[in-house]
Amino acid sequence: MISLAFHNLFQNKIRMVISVGGVALALLLILSLDAIFSGVEKRVTAYIDHSGADIWVSQDDVFNMHMASSSLPDSVARKVKTVEGVASVSPIMYLTNNVVAGDERNLAYIIGLPENAKFGIPWKVLGGRDLPEEGEVVMDRSVAEKSGIGLGDDVEILGEEFEVIGLAGETSSLTNSIAFISSKDFEKMRKSYGTFSFLLVKVNKGESPEAVAARIEQKVKDITAQTRIQFAAQERKVIKDMSTDVITIMNLIGFLIGLAVMALTVYTSILSRRREYGMLKALGARNKDLYFTVLAQAIISVVLGFLFGLSITALLTAALPLIASSLILEIRFTSLLKVGGFSLIIAVVSAVIPIRQIADLDPAMVFRGK
Amino acid sequence: MSLARRNLFQDKTRLALSIGGVALAVMLVLILKGFLAGMNRQITSYLDNSPGDTVIAEEDVVNLLGATSLVPEGTDQKAESVRGVDQVIPILSQFIILDLHDKKQPAYMIGYEPDKGGGAWQISEGREPRSKWEMVIDQILAKRHGLVIGDEIEVMGKDFTIVGLSRGTTSWMTSYFFVRKQDAETILLSPGATSFLLVTSTEDADQEYIIERLKKLSGVNILTKKEMAANDLKLFAKVFSAPLRLMVAISFLVGTMIVGLVIYTATVERQREYGVIKAIGGRNRFLYRIVLTQAFFASIAGSTLGILMANGAAQWIMTVRPQFLIVFDPSDAGQALVAGLGMAMIAAILPTRVIANLAPAEVFRK
Repeated sequence: MISLAFHNLFQNKIRMVISVGGVALALLLILSLDAIFSGVEKRVTAYIDHSGADIWVSQDDVFNMHMASSSLPDSVARKVKTVEGVASVSPIMYLTNNVVAGDERNLAYIIGLPENAKFGIPWKVLGGRDLPEEGEVVMDRSVAEKSGIGLGDDVEILGEEFEVIGLAGETSSLTNSIAFISSKDFEKMRKSYGTFSFLLVKVNKGESPEAVAARIEQKVKDITAQTRIQFAAQERKVIKDMSTDVITIMNLIGFLIGLAVMALTVYTSILSRRREYGMLKALGARNKDLYFTVLAQAIISVVLGFLFGLSITALLTAALPLIASSLILEIRFTSLLKVGGFSLIIAVVSAVIPIRQIADLDPAMVFRGK
Repeated sequence: MSLARRNLFQDKTRLALSIGGVALAVMLVLILKGFLAGMNRQITSYLDNSPGDTVIAEEDVVNLLGATSLVPEGTDQKAESVRGVDQVIPILSQFIILDLHDKKQPAYMIGYEPDKGGGAWQISEGREPRSKWEMVIDQILAKRHGLVIGDEIEVMGKDFTIVGLSRGTTSWMTSYFFVRKQDAETILLSPGATSFLLVTSTEDADQEYIIERLKKLSGVNILTKKEMAANDLKLFAKVFSAPLRLMVAISFLVGTMIVGLVIYTATVERQREYGVIKAIGGRNRFLYRIVLTQAFFASIAGSTLGILMANGAAQWIMTVRPQFLIVFDPSDAGQALVAGLGMAMIAAILPTRVIANLAPAEVFRK
């Protein structure tokens, strides 16, 4: 019966292509949306992941970097440095603003770095230097290219001119990029003397970041200390909590479209083989076997559609960063499991109508020439 | 025509499935578009409803929501002295992530002076914040988290008491909340700081003159509220347009494939009849018209149903998840029908090729 299912499916190649393609596109809707949000999640934590710090210290009750503000007095850096297990501290400044190049305005997280900073600096420098001095900026290469900017050119940040001395990679996302300037410039522009935004802490070898973070929170007042992993998890949670409802709605629509396509193709395919099924019944084939054939046909189509949809998503994942480096896609195993589950449900449900058709089929019809 | 109709209506289940499939694809396109339109309306809601028609921001800042702005001290007095300026309303604003019942809720805090204005424009319950550590939050956000007047929310280490609920101040991404400016300054550790100044003018004032004069102030950027709203929309459009276009393109392809499959199957099934028509002198053009009529019917019926379904689904989504606003423009229906026609045209290519390659003699050989 499996071979009959294969035969039915592959006999009419155009119908098979449309059926597999339709299901693939519907599943692609779900897969690509998941991949887009996973990609955003990944990029949103890129700076934290590559900061090199073990612990991030922020203002009391501030658990995030993005869409948040943190301000700490310089005294916090001194106090944290004295906590047991802390090897070094590096304060950074942070705000969201535009990097202006000619008529192009690009939203960026502006990071103010102290002299000789070791943590929180650009992790992938594709041209020039990684540490900006006064009047200098390191900006994302894709943003620079888009704005027609190169090394040595000037851009404007908060009304001040900065010379581009470095071009960084992996520092742009769907929403914004990251630009690095010196803390001195940052302080001057914001008049934020004596304060900073976050403290990046490195712990001594052999020390557990969790234990040191707890110690910092105990010893220093009005701050929040989180390990790098905890801090990144908080960032991902923002994206996840924001996108859950959107993903649910899109998943539902994608699922219904996939179901409609599959139901239509299985139905038309069984309908065109009505006579053959009647013949099989007349020859003594049991309904159960015929149902199995229909189900097998639906499952094979859906599996092929799933693989095809996955291939297109993988292709998009590879190709999109080359076209638009800010849009990165990531396929996650959980997403594959979910879509795989959806596919199976689609296959089973889409086989219901054809199975009912076969059940009602009168074997004598074949001999009547219907 | 009657042949096309008969071909289509002969198998009603197939027709229903195809119309349903196209309808779902069209519905998805419309929902996505409506969703974006609703989001655009929500994004600019503060600028649309707050007082004044001109905004003073920090130099180089062109957005309300995108960037951090800090206007130089004393700018408000200088702006007030410009002829024609009625009121200068300071606000201190900042995105903040609220932790509500273990959920991260990005919110945009507006710190304002209640006696000057700039707070919630529609309070459905309660009142404006008058004393220390009081806040107004959006009624939908409050409902989603079971919060009522009198409850407390922790914002950057301080407990704020909810004293009012506002309307029209939420979106699926973020929500506005309103506190006194002094409280915002305290939690942001920025005493005396002002992000933006909203400028209102007297009735007979010359708007262009005011803007011209304000532009002479140092360290600031002067924009009309409309310009700033347009900049915010542009910023968010940049973020959402790529994924949205991808989804719309996929939906269009799915719809086209569904119509294509149905018309192709209907054509192949009737291959013999088409051969007979050709054998008795029927021209290809006549047969193409039959195929196109079928494709158009399935597409237009699907698109029309899709428009109705999109309206129903939008109502349902907004009832179940009130933070979503889905707005349909009358032109969307027209665009959906055009998309349907596009699907029909593309879907008819394959079946017409089947007919074109059909040899009339084949009918008699089979």
